[in-house]
Amino acid sequence: MLYINDLTKNYGSFTAVNHLSLHIPAGDLFGFMGPNGAGKTTTIRIVCGLLRASSGQVRIGNTSAAVGSREMKRLIGYVPDFFGVYDNLKVREYMDLYGSMYGMYSRDIARLTDDLLELVNLSDKKEVYVDTLSRGMKQRLCVARALLHNPSLLILDEPSSGLDPRARVEMKELLKNLHSMGKTIVISSHILSELSEMCNSIGIMNRGQLLIAGRIEDVMGQIGGGNRMHIQIASGMETALRILKEQAGIKIESVRENEILILSNCTDQEINGFIGLMIQSQVILTGFYKEEGSLETLFMQLTGGSAQ
Amino acid sequence: MKIRWNPIVKKDLQVTARSMRLSWGVFAYEAVLTMAFLLALSVIQQESRSIYTTGNIYGYLIYLFPVLSIAQVCIVALIVPVITASSISGEKERQTFDIMLTTCMSPFSIVLGKVVSAVLRILFFVAAGMPIMALAFVAGGLSWSYLFYFVLTIILLSLLSGSIGILCSALCRRSITAVILSYVFYFFIYIMTLLPVIVRALLTEGERMGETMLILLINPFVFFEEFFMQLMTGESLFGVSGSNFTKREVGFITYNLSQGKAWLFLSAACIFILSFLFMLAAAWKVNPMHSSSGKRRKK
Repeated sequence: MLYINDLTKNYGSFTAVNHLSLHIPAGDLFGFMGPNGAGKTTTIRIVCGLLRASSGQVRIGNTSAAVGSREMKRLIGYVPDFFGVYDNLKVREYMDLYGSMYGMYSRDIARLTDDLLELVNLSDKKEVYVDTLSRGMKQRLCVARALLHNPSLLILDEPSSGLDPRARVEMKELLKNLHSMGKTIVISSHILSELSEMCNSIGIMNRGQLLIAGRIEDVMGQIGGGNRMHIQIASGMETALRILKEQAGIKIESVRENEILILSNCTDQEINGFIGLMIQSQVILTGFYKEEGSLETLFMQLTGGSAQ
Repeated sequence: MKIRWNPIVKKDLQVTARSMRLSWGVFAYEAVLTMAFLLALSVIQQESRSIYTTGNIYGYLIYLFPVLSIAQVCIVALIVPVITASSISGEKERQTFDIMLTTCMSPFSIVLGKVVSAVLRILFFVAAGMPIMALAFVAGGLSWSYLFYFVLTIILLSLLSGSIGILCSALCRRSITAVILSYVFYFFIYIMTLLPVIVRALLTEGERMGETMLILLINPFVFFEEFFMQLMTGESLFGVSGSNFTKREVGFITYNLSQGKAWLFLSAACIFILSFLFMLAAAWKVNPMHSSSGKRRKK
């Protein structure tokens, strides 16, 4: 769906985006992650035609249209991080304004407005002035506005920033709903737990470079977030430590009263071997588990702890 | 066939119509115009006492027309930059401009929509001032066609002022800076275009002006002066059939333009083209694809 090839954006001597190449398949809900200043918003703004790239190409679907062209704009629905409103404009009129800007006919706008307001749960606010809506409602309205011309790709730049927990949950549900309808969605966000729950693929940027991208399970696998292990011991701590020290590929990270935390590069067979050896040596194990890799851990590892 | 409105014109008019600012604006406009009317009337009355016996009192009331027209022109010239100079920078301040640029509207359509909505808002003021203007026609005995010509010139002036405002709005991030810059542009177009002519006239004692005066074609002061001269006296600013000049004093083009109404029409065309160029420049400036490097966006 979205192909970004060797994209670079320079501001004088500063490189905001550095030779970024990315492919997001159709139907994906892609989470774009990275610390502040990583280049996410710059990338999004280039894709949306709001910024000119220094070099590189952006393509959506099979179209060969240039970034910023009318044809390309029809394919994108953009939800910015900040929702600006006009005083004295009602929700219905707001939708009508943007529908007209896409060259749609009033009849079609009216029909789609009803459907979309229902989708974002704002049907009862149709005749309400936009500036009187809560921030969460405004953000949902902005999503409805971005969907009005039925774009192939929906891009949201930090959609949850400034929203209260309830509004965040509503926004998450809305995006999940849109994903299940087959929309291709790109979300840039700092709220990693939210992305891990919603997205099926992710990309992590830092200092203008894309560090890793792909399906969420593949990325987690590549990083090896599961090589940290907890061994809980009821008795025989010294024996257990001796056995572990003898194993190649194992590093003892910490030792607590009843628990040893190790970093392991061993295969499953090797792990089975030293666990068996502990049991034979009268070590009483009460627990043993691999630590699941979280998006936060992955993010911190890749960005060198510069995460929010 | 259904006419499709520029969505920005529709939105701006919709939003403006609901605002109290419009009501206050019309009130202020009417108040200034009424004051100008009463002032002119008192001057005319004083003058008419001396000529009352000659029966020329109504002839003097014709001067209400230029007084009221000039008052309107001045108000329009002052108001339009305030409206348009804050239009694009205002959208940027509200952070709605980016969304606008991601739609299928071209930057020129956005700029044109903003200027047209400003012109329409000015016409609303002008229409509200019609009853006062009408007194000059009823009492002064002017033809109604003059009123039509006057509205056309107001549209032209609004277009020029609007395009200056929109260009400044595109150049500046903040509305207040854009308004100030608009008045700097005004200074150059209204005052600085007179400078080469004055300097040349002083240097040559008005005998070898050449084609220097052609720069005055874009000066709205000169255009309005010529407009009122033609309307009120049937003469040109440059005298009957350009009699103020000889072919030796001014260049060939200037001499021929000073004949009849040629200067007036050419000046209108020049002001229109200038407005169009300002709008094109504004559209070029707001088009993100024309920005060579762009600026880092503050979050």
